[in-house]
Amino acid sequence: MLGIEECLTEVMAIPGALDAILIDQTSGMAVATGGGSRHLDAEKSAAGLSGTLQATLDGLAATSPTGTVRVNEMIITADDGHHLLKPLETVFDGPLVIYVRLDPGRSNLALARHRLQALSGRLITT
Amino acid sequence: MPTAESVLRGLADDRATGALRLGKAGVFYLTGGRVTYAESACCPRAEDLLVAGGRISAHAVRQARQAASEQRPGGGLLVDRGLLTRGELEFCVLGAVLDAAFFLFDATGVRMRFRPEDRHWLGPQWYFDVTGLLREHGRRRAQLDQAWPSAELDTLPVVPLARIPAQQVMLTSLQWEVLVGADSSATPADLARKLGRPAYSVLLAVRQLGAAGLLRRPEPPPEAPPGEPPEAPPRTSPKTSPEAPAGAPPETRSRVPSGPPPEAPVPGAPAPPGASAPSGVLPRRAGAAARAGTAPEAGIAPEAGIAPEAGAEAVRPRPSPEWLPAATGDPTDVNLLIRLRNALEALA
Repeated sequence: MLGIEECLTEVMAIPGALDAILIDQTSGMAVATGGGSRHLDAEKSAAGLSGTLQATLDGLAATSPTGTVRVNEMIITADDGHHLLKPLETVFDGPLVIYVRLDPGRSNLALARHRLQALSGRLITT
Repeated sequence: MPTAESVLRGLADDRATGALRLGKAGVFYLTGGRVTYAESACCPRAEDLLVAGGRISAHAVRQARQAASEQRPGGGLLVDRGLLTRGELEFCVLGAVLDAAFFLFDATGVRMRFRPEDRHWLGPQWYFDVTGLLREHGRRRAQLDQAWPSAELDTLPVVPLARIPAQQVMLTSLQWEVLVGADSSATPADLARKLGRPAYSVLLAVRQLGAAGLLRRPEPPPEAPPGEPPEAPPRTSPKTSPEAPAGAPPETRSRVPSGPPPEAPVPGAPAPPGASAPSGVLPRRAGAAARAGTAPEAGIAPEAGIAPEAGAEAVRPRPSPEWLPAATGDPTDVNLLIRLRNALEALA
């Protein structure tokens, strides 16, 4: 069983991880940061990332044949790395989102996804 | 009278440990100058969120609370008994503290008292510095106003409209919970307690629903603008979205039927007395164009070239200013009239 800080430490231990942020999706607040994101404006990144996820949910809900959508994981491959967003549902608040940016040359996307999945189960049980 | 903010900053500078009571509004708990817990009368507490969400039982909370001591705070007990993960407890406390702080910083006229011996039974789970709490308070306030800048629904019972002006809506899960939980008597704060969700999140959802025009709004005060139909129903009737193709889900969040002020759009500098003849058309179209984001010069007819669209926009049935007769029209008719007028103007 993990706490928030240990969770971030383990996220940063994923091979190729460059930075990591834990985001409160409702308010778009950075709950905790790790790695290179300590030097970034984490508040701004968190607000932007939460907006990205929200826009994706809006767009996919419109696209989905049932009109509803549930995102388990979002992967964006960009020039500056692979961005992974994993929303974790909680019973008491909006989702908590784990964000990690991976070095495209040094990381293994499949491994990273597997590690995030395992981590999220230890951070929050639903 | 000192504000909660200034007193809290002073306590932070002194690295104080204890509880700052703000009258009946709530309590801040500090540990070594940092805030470790906060409770507000209008927010569910951390244990309420956990119990209402079905994560743990009220019995388990009571047991942990009774067994808690300063050496062994209740939060650790809950985690050690395997009832919660540390991450869940931390995230829950974090959410509850930010939620309570949002309302506590706005509390005014309360008697403040600091009691150094008081501790919260959960024990410190997450540490906030006062500056960070205030920054988040400001951010949330801005987010709330961005969703809908009106506080009129904040403290009233939430009443969803039986029939809504849109044909299709998209909801977030929390907006759904709010609508399902609304019983026409519960205010946003009551709903938060009932749903086991932070009061701020519920308030935000209510503002979003209000902006989308899905909630009943309070009766306008009696001294509402005279000569104006009170709620302007024609404007929100389903017919009014000719721009949304049938089948495409209208984005209710972006379309804000109740957003614009209730008074009819001021026709950009209402046609000066000597201006060209069909003053019945011009101001209305100017209003339509203004809503589309362009600010047309008064008196000019800039939309002559884009007549079909602008015309279709202009025929939306909507309340006219009192000095104009209410008029609706078939777009083709209006377009024909516009062309006729343009031809006559060209002749003159």
